[in-house]
Amino acid sequence: MTPRPLFAPLDRVTVEQIPFRASDGTELGLCRLTANSPTAQEPTDRPAVLLLHGLTASADMFVLPETRNLVDALLGAGYEPWLLDWRGSCRLPHNEGRVRYTFDDVALYDIPDAVSYIRDRIGGRQLFVVAHCLGALSLSLSMTGGLVPGLAGVVAQGVFMTPKYSARSRLLGHLGGEWGRSRWTHLPVDFTKVGFRSRYTPMFALASLSAGDCDDPTCHILHNSAWGTGASLYVHENLHETTHGRLAELFGSAPTWIGPHLRRMELAHTAMPWNTGGQGYDRLPENALDSADRIDCPVLLLSGSDNKTFHDSNELCYDVLSSRCPDLDVRYVEVPGYGHVDPFIGRGAALDVFGHILDFLDERSAAPSREGVPADRVSEGSRSSR
Amino acid sequence: MKPTTDTGGEVPVRHHDVDRQYEGESIENGPRGAAAIAGLLARFQPSAPRPVDGAVEAGGRADGTPAWGLEQLARAIVSKAAALLDVKEIDTETDLFDAGATSVDAVRLVAVLDRELNVRLSLDDVFADARPRRLAQRWLGSPAQRPPSEASTATTALELPAAPATSAPAASTPTTSAPAASAPTSTTAAATTTASPGTDLTPAGPVAPDGTLPALDDHAEDLSLVMADLAAADRLPWCGDPEPVPPRRVLLTGATGFLGGHMLLDLLRHSDAHVVCLVRGDDVQDAERRLAEALAGFSLPWSAEIRRRVTLLPGDLRRPRLGLADEQWELLANDIDSVVSVAAAVDFLRGYPSLRRTNVLGVLSLAELAMTGRPKPLHHISSIAVFNEIGIASMGEDDPVAHVDRLTAGYDKSKWAAEAALRRARDRGLKATFLRPGGIVGHTRTGAYNPHDINTGLFSAISRYRVAPKIDYSNSAPVDWVSRIATAVINEPSAWGQNYHLTGRPDTLTEMVRDQELGGLNVRVMPWDVWLKDFLERCETDPVPELEFMARVLRNPAGQKIVEASVSAPMATGERTEAFVARHKLPPPARYDAQARLKSYERMARDGLVVLPSRDDPPHLWFRETMRGKVGPVDAEPSTRCSLALTLSIASMYQLVQHRTIDVRGTVSCPSLHAEPLTVDDGEIWVRPHEGVPHRHSLDHPLLRYRLALRDSDGNGWWLEGWKTARARFDYMKQARTLTVRVGREGEPASLAGTLKVPKKSYKREQIDGIRVNPKLSMREQRIAKLAWLTWFGSQLGQGLLEPTLRAGAEMLDLRPDAIDLDKDRYQAKLKKWEKDRKQLR
Repeated sequence: MTPRPLFAPLDRVTVEQIPFRASDGTELGLCRLTANSPTAQEPTDRPAVLLLHGLTASADMFVLPETRNLVDALLGAGYEPWLLDWRGSCRLPHNEGRVRYTFDDVALYDIPDAVSYIRDRIGGRQLFVVAHCLGALSLSLSMTGGLVPGLAGVVAQGVFMTPKYSARSRLLGHLGGEWGRSRWTHLPVDFTKVGFRSRYTPMFALASLSAGDCDDPTCHILHNSAWGTGASLYVHENLHETTHGRLAELFGSAPTWIGPHLRRMELAHTAMPWNTGGQGYDRLPENALDSADRIDCPVLLLSGSDNKTFHDSNELCYDVLSSRCPDLDVRYVEVPGYGHVDPFIGRGAALDVFGHILDFLDERSAAPSREGVPADRVSEGSRSSR
Repeated sequence: MKPTTDTGGEVPVRHHDVDRQYEGESIENGPRGAAAIAGLLARFQPSAPRPVDGAVEAGGRADGTPAWGLEQLARAIVSKAAALLDVKEIDTETDLFDAGATSVDAVRLVAVLDRELNVRLSLDDVFADARPRRLAQRWLGSPAQRPPSEASTATTALELPAAPATSAPAASTPTTSAPAASAPTSTTAAATTTASPGTDLTPAGPVAPDGTLPALDDHAEDLSLVMADLAAADRLPWCGDPEPVPPRRVLLTGATGFLGGHMLLDLLRHSDAHVVCLVRGDDVQDAERRLAEALAGFSLPWSAEIRRRVTLLPGDLRRPRLGLADEQWELLANDIDSVVSVAAAVDFLRGYPSLRRTNVLGVLSLAELAMTGRPKPLHHISSIAVFNEIGIASMGEDDPVAHVDRLTAGYDKSKWAAEAALRRARDRGLKATFLRPGGIVGHTRTGAYNPHDINTGLFSAISRYRVAPKIDYSNSAPVDWVSRIATAVINEPSAWGQNYHLTGRPDTLTEMVRDQELGGLNVRVMPWDVWLKDFLERCETDPVPELEFMARVLRNPAGQKIVEASVSAPMATGERTEAFVARHKLPPPARYDAQARLKSYERMARDGLVVLPSRDDPPHLWFRETMRGKVGPVDAEPSTRCSLALTLSIASMYQLVQHRTIDVRGTVSCPSLHAEPLTVDDGEIWVRPHEGVPHRHSLDHPLLRYRLALRDSDGNGWWLEGWKTARARFDYMKQARTLTVRVGREGEPASLAGTLKVPKKSYKREQIDGIRVNPKLSMREQRIAKLAWLTWFGSQLGQGLLEPTLRAGAEMLDLRPDAIDLDKDRYQAKLKKWEKDRKQLR
């Protein structure tokens, strides 16, 4: 069982697919990307960047062929991107499977295992992590559990340690989700596969209410409902036409049984594990915010100003962390006009968002404690910083 | 002769009438933007009057100042200006602003001319028309200079501008010295100069002081300049239709400006085009620095990812052929496939002669570029200022524009002339699109605003004095919408060559006033003329430096007309724009709502243009809160009675929604601290701190945090910190009333701790019935304010109290089986039934 192939722009990048299994035996996807262009002959001292997708998305969200994507930007700026498909990826079958998982498993197995594998491969080079949504939330559990020490820097987009819904999402997601949880194991998004008449028809019908100009049911369930939670994943206008047409490839079914874990964290506005002790889960902190002082690297919190999924979670996280852990290097950047996932898949993401990420990576990789950073990339970074 | 004082030679003489160094320094040190500069000018106005005092004049003459001839004086001004600006190629017809002068330079020039030539011009003169010859004429024609006998017989000689010769977008040689060469040779009689625009006629050599130009003739001269500029359009080449494909390489002017910067980013975001930006600068690095700084100023990004899709072209719109070398020009004409003209000098104080080079001749250069080589569309950002005639009936996209002779402001005339010239170019085949924004207000997300916009001044005035003029419609739209629609038109070939109104959905006064009311920033509305009088009076009696820009504009008759025309304008309609927006599923024109306006307000407040209500202002709403309880040493049983008598107030609803804080004043009585009550120096309540994130891993969520700085009657400082906490228990009322406090001496750890409670009976009496609202508001406004407060605070308190219970409840829900469990059960049941059926079959 290998993940389905990436929809990557193979004319621009070469994908090295690595067979990868987490230490609890779950099949995951891991790949390393290199640029095809002869000018980008990579020096061996490029810092590596591990990219973590959000729940039901996949590594595809970082390599959209139709836009200038984050992998292009990273390769262009002299980094070595690694893409992990953790168990919540739609390139893997786990979301529709019968084996339930929680974010504890992601934090305990997927992320630390991938990090240690990459560390083995890159030797002493720096490793950054850029994570989105629930990938970032799981990463916060790994970090506060001390499972991924020594990262050079972390970029968390959308949410990090303090998930926060709107009142509407609380009602629909937490209470309505409870109703859905006993009926469906997962909620699909691809209307062409589900068909017009199915057990999911009411969800699609609900999502299409007040849908505006767009007439794509797959877009409705993502943009208008976010799998019934009443949230919105992106600012419609920010998507490339092609991206909009292939949303069903980029997002997959959301498992309903993961709802309670999300609900527990959201109601407390705090990342915390589902399992209480035993089976190795006691390596995770009881409460990520209480253990935030275990974070040992600078953190850049990113969020779109119009994030209608986790709203101002990251701003809240910034406020809480900077008042509780004044020694922690944490920054917050709000990207005007962007929603939850379009900071990565939006057509203008390279212009509006990636600059912030690259500035941060450049600054950290040029930090005096590290050596062997190519001079040309340092100058590039200092020029583009504002 | 060199102006040594200002370039750093001698110590300047600090004589207010003579020395203007102070003004220059103030301008340089002050805040940026036209507001600041014009404001300073306004401040200096009374102390720098035109010399009408005969004695001063006589003194000047007695010094042996020569009786200037026009040409002689003009050349003298040129030499002073050239030294001041450190540029070589100025002649008597060069507008000094075009030569790179800033407002600071203008102030300095006035000082130098005064000191060294004894020529006393006002700054207004320089702003209206900064050509040295014109300045000379103004001086020679000023009442101080004119002998009384000749004043009445002054001929209305018109100096016909050298417009066609200097502008000459069609001219083959890109030189600026044409007028200089022709001026001295021209000796035609002044009386004939109104005829035949296009010939370079100037008054004869040394003109007598009667070569004066009263104000009325400024207008006539403007008109003849307009006509001359329009004639230049007839020298454009003929061209065919451009290829109807979305552009791949776009030339954009004005990228360092407010709208241009936003359009640059939108062009990059919504197309795959590469953008060539014409930016002033010595070289590419200099131009890039300017662009990056300008974008950062508007909170727009500039990074390597953007840089790779932008080419910087150092040039100057005001110069023939954009100041480019011939081969560069040719290369550009063949390279790009679309021209976007955004750059414009937006200044309501400068006259047409001072603005035309940028706003009219620059546009003609771009038209020439568009028509040279392969035909390219030209998208021109015009303005609904072309309708700025008071009393115009309608402002539709294809409605006739205003009569140019009825436009008063130089800016309006220049925008009118650019459109008129491009209409002629349309006849020659140019695909010219007119995009006409109205007021462009701040970005709905970043709040970035244009300090030069009239709306900024109006907002500023309204927020300061809380009175607003009666506005029929505010034809203004946020910059992000204007920019988005403009770029969509540029990218859509079928949309080219038409007129579009980018005025958005006009705001009405009622909506604006309601927004203000909800935010607790209530305003009174007055008719325009009453408001104007009131405003100017307030500016006299209660001057605010940040408002001097607006005062300056409104004291100036032309500026007054601009603002009046804009507040009394009919609703601009834009059927074509609306149809275009609907067809392409673009964001529909939305109201510039309270939230978006607030973003700009916050930014303006940071720049000092607007004042948001603060705790030092009289409160918007207040009520009393009493608390009683016991405190004692930390870790011991509380024993001493303690009570708080507080007054809780807010300065506006904005403070609540944005900062979630309530201001506290009052007294604390506690014998353990001091025999007499302590006063609250400074106090604040934070509602649901950090959105109620628990302190430690538990079901206890913080509800309110009190932080008070106290002072006893002996002058000693104390601090008090109190928390109201929500728990997963049903005694909500008790939780809402109970405050756990810790008290300590200033700079020391807590020495006392205890629990205080709001007495049950006092709650309704003080905190609901006892709410008082700013008595200056009407009863209706007071009721709205009270309800708004109760709704907001009630919902926050309710949410905060319920959260722990919800979490406990959710833990129960977590135990329910999900679909996989239920499926398993169903499968088991099926298996059992199957077993049973099989047994029965046997």
